[in-house]
Amino acid sequence: MREPRNPFRLRSAEDIESDATFLRLFGPGILELLVSDDLWERPKIFRSAPGGGKTSLLRLFTPNVLHTLHAYRTTEECRELHQKMCDLQVLRDQGPVLLGVILSAARNYASLTDLEGDPHRKRRLLFALLNSRIIIAFLRAALALKGATFPNDLTRLTILSPSTQIPMPIPELPCRGTEAYDWAREVEASVCKSLDSFGPDELPSVVGHDSLFSLSLISRESFLFDQEAIAERFLFMFDDVHLLTSLQRDILLNTIVEARRGMTVWISERFEALSPDELLTSGAILGRDYGGVVSLEDYWRERPKRFESVVLNIADRRARAAADIEIGAFDPSLETSLDGMEWQDQFRSALDAIKLRVLTLAQNHTQFTEWVAVTEAIQGTPRERANTWRALEILIQREKRKSQTSFDFPLSSEDLEDKDNSAVNAAAELFLADEFGLPYYFGFSKLASLASSNIEQFLWLAGENFEEVASNALLGRSPRLSPDRQDSIIRRAVKRAWEEIPRRVRKGRDVIYFLEAIGSLAKQETYRPSAPYAAGVTGIAISMADRNRILQANNATGVDLSTLRDVLASALANNLLEPILDYKCKGERWMVLNLNRFLCVHFGLPLQRGGWREQSLLTLCDWLAHGFKPNKKDGVLIS
Amino acid sequence: MSAELEAPKYWENYILDIGESVTQFWAQHLGTGPRDLLFILGCGFDPRTILGVETLFGLGGQGKREVLAITLDEGATSPSMTHLSAVETNREKLQKLVEGRGVITATSVQMQAEDGRRIGSRNAAGVIKDLLQLQPFSDVILDISALPRAIYCPLIAKILYLLKHAPPDSGCARINLHVLVSEDPALDDAIKEEGISDTASYVYGFGGGLEMESTTDLPKIWIPVLGEKQEEQLKRVYDLVSPNEICPLLPSPSRNPRRGDDLIYEYRELLFERLRVEPSNFVYAAERNPFEVYRHIKRTVAQFRDALKPLGGCKAVISAHSSKLLSLGVLLAAYELKEANGDVGIAHVESQGYTMNPTLPETKSELCGLWLCGECYEP
Repeated sequence: MREPRNPFRLRSAEDIESDATFLRLFGPGILELLVSDDLWERPKIFRSAPGGGKTSLLRLFTPNVLHTLHAYRTTEECRELHQKMCDLQVLRDQGPVLLGVILSAARNYASLTDLEGDPHRKRRLLFALLNSRIIIAFLRAALALKGATFPNDLTRLTILSPSTQIPMPIPELPCRGTEAYDWAREVEASVCKSLDSFGPDELPSVVGHDSLFSLSLISRESFLFDQEAIAERFLFMFDDVHLLTSLQRDILLNTIVEARRGMTVWISERFEALSPDELLTSGAILGRDYGGVVSLEDYWRERPKRFESVVLNIADRRARAAADIEIGAFDPSLETSLDGMEWQDQFRSALDAIKLRVLTLAQNHTQFTEWVAVTEAIQGTPRERANTWRALEILIQREKRKSQTSFDFPLSSEDLEDKDNSAVNAAAELFLADEFGLPYYFGFSKLASLASSNIEQFLWLAGENFEEVASNALLGRSPRLSPDRQDSIIRRAVKRAWEEIPRRVRKGRDVIYFLEAIGSLAKQETYRPSAPYAAGVTGIAISMADRNRILQANNATGVDLSTLRDVLASALANNLLEPILDYKCKGERWMVLNLNRFLCVHFGLPLQRGGWREQSLLTLCDWLAHGFKPNKKDGVLIS
Repeated sequence: MSAELEAPKYWENYILDIGESVTQFWAQHLGTGPRDLLFILGCGFDPRTILGVETLFGLGGQGKREVLAITLDEGATSPSMTHLSAVETNREKLQKLVEGRGVITATSVQMQAEDGRRIGSRNAAGVIKDLLQLQPFSDVILDISALPRAIYCPLIAKILYLLKHAPPDSGCARINLHVLVSEDPALDDAIKEEGISDTASYVYGFGGGLEMESTTDLPKIWIPVLGEKQEEQLKRVYDLVSPNEICPLLPSPSRNPRRGDDLIYEYRELLFERLRVEPSNFVYAAERNPFEVYRHIKRTVAQFRDALKPLGGCKAVISAHSSKLLSLGVLLAAYELKEANGDVGIAHVESQGYTMNPTLPETKSELCGLWLCGECYEP
């Protein structure tokens, strides 16, 4: 298959057919999610919003991908990945030593719930379908790992009786792979046929299993190829578990915890698998049971620099894979400076305007004389000087607010140095861009921040930029994108995504009202003249006590909390809001809800995290009913 | 040429009426003698709800007249709830139309389970439980104008199944099944889906074989019937199917001769950048002829099966992203392929509800009628 013109458009693992291309585009940094002492000992749950990178991670452990990685181990693109997989004891010098199988829950399991019959029968059918599919998937994967042909070489596989005493409905053990396959195929076919039939339910009552015995049946000791062990380690990966019904999911997770298994089990699911209660507790309920929950976005959120380096690696790999242009790295395609000649005039006129404003503001206030003199003496590019003056304006505004209660003593240059911090400079940069129509959302670091720790979101926005890089290269122009082009490409993409929310998201219309309110509040607070919450406000918080009220849909406040609860759950499930639980601040505990960074573009907000405003449940419900109403007294700054 | 390519098609010869000829057909049909009609329709906010029943009942004729009105229970928070007054208006109009001529029975289809799962498709097939419900009638008319795809596809398939598998002595083999649909592109454009599902799924009755692990190695072909503003749905169906080959079906010839080009332009990035569709894979069928869509889909599937025979054949998934009229072609093809024991699926993406632009364009709905089974297909 020909290389794509814009490889950033290949978002999900499923988009990439060839294993070699998949490996070429895979950023090895993602494997740090797996570094733990008990990686192979305990079940793990990988959880994220759509596009977090779960399925790509799982695909890496399947036989054909492992064989391809082993074959390409000496190439520059695969060397690091190969080494990391060796460190995880998945590959050795002779090749793969792990038998990994992915099974997707994106099948007809949930439909079993709709069949006639009691819950017990439905549970037995669920186990039957799972057992048959797990056995078929392992038979197929085993042959792939051994380089044999499916189904011709099934006779070379043997399943022995396992040591555990679990009743198994397979006719006779030990058996050949062929017999196991025929049995499993028949079980699967009978259940699927019944699920799909327009006629009466003809499924014999005998079809159905009492347990998920397949996870005990298949093990290093009992599953052989030519009478020898197939692999050192067996891994079963159940993908898209959020597509099971909540009852099925509970049954599955409990069974996995309780079962004596001959293999490691990994589960992957989206946040939406969680009930509103679980979402609002950030999955803590299950987290306690497993101890092995990896929340992908949370992991990267705590390590923003690592995430930036991981996505930089991914971006470079994608850029190199482009069909029509030769580009060694993505980062250099994005200009990161506004100090070029083309911006000088704009910054000079901004500088003049700001300087005039500051001088007017400081007029008749002797306390600012030294600050003005120090700032006047600072050298630098027009951009740096405009920024410094804008920061000074913010600081003077702050002092003037305070001066109502203090004396007009002159402020020293040391005072200015103390106050002149990175947050104020960041706010100055934002204000400057907003007031003078300068680009703000540009450069690789900001692009990585805009991803909100989600790989697919990064690929989406980077892909929008790369589209123009590729087009420029095709037209023989410089492929480098100026800051204003990047800014306008990002804004255009975000606008489209914002408009899609009502259609794309459950309760989308309410969700968008709610986000609009948060964004409006954040904008109002961020752009106050004294920038009291520099670099800006990008979220809200509710007390943990209020969060508990939402969980219990406790309407003690006199308002119906059920809509708020559903809207919050939908926004969290779709990664539009990023929760931080149990955040301690000023003697209280809070649930902070930050806007997804791409939404910050929609509201013209900074991308730094930290600023949020406390809100009462009454206010939130009022936002849903009537929208945001600006109110200067509303809320208290906490962080 | 393979046997499948040469196999006779049930709808090789068909009856399709559009516009005025629908009225002419029914005037003639009802004039042949007493006919007992069961009219099934969706009772929603769509202004086209009663157009079909109004036309038919206005033609008079002798025999029983019964209406089965389906309401969709999308939950209290559905965006469609904002149009309750329009639903009520349609219900009143329907009542007046039927008053003194027949009986209205109402049935509700629950679209969402308590846990949020979409169950409308399966429940729709349960609207007609067995042959006993159809036995008293000579003609069953299903008006899909105000019904979503997730409802009318399984419902038509279920009725077809019951009638075509009716025991010879049941007297049901001669029951006629007609489908009516009021086409109005401007109105379709004014009605928008809201809160579409995160994932695509298979329409009830068309998916079991697709999801089997034992045949997961078989290549999959996907035939999306393209229509406007469906990018998100196309992406979600693609994610569900993960096809090896994609054969988009474009409406051509069409009233707007550039419509096919416009669709290619609209989806160029998705089709050629992400999905990497081979330009030679496009299939074309007339915009207003579902039977042509049916024929082309069947031929495409048969050709792929023939070509991929050395690999064990292939599975086929069809998805309709265009008008209801063309969706019927998808359904007919899938039904026949399923009956021939083929692994075929109809994929779709459900939505939480619909919103309608309050400033509706003046509707110029055109009634289309298909006769799908019964007397005219008797050998």
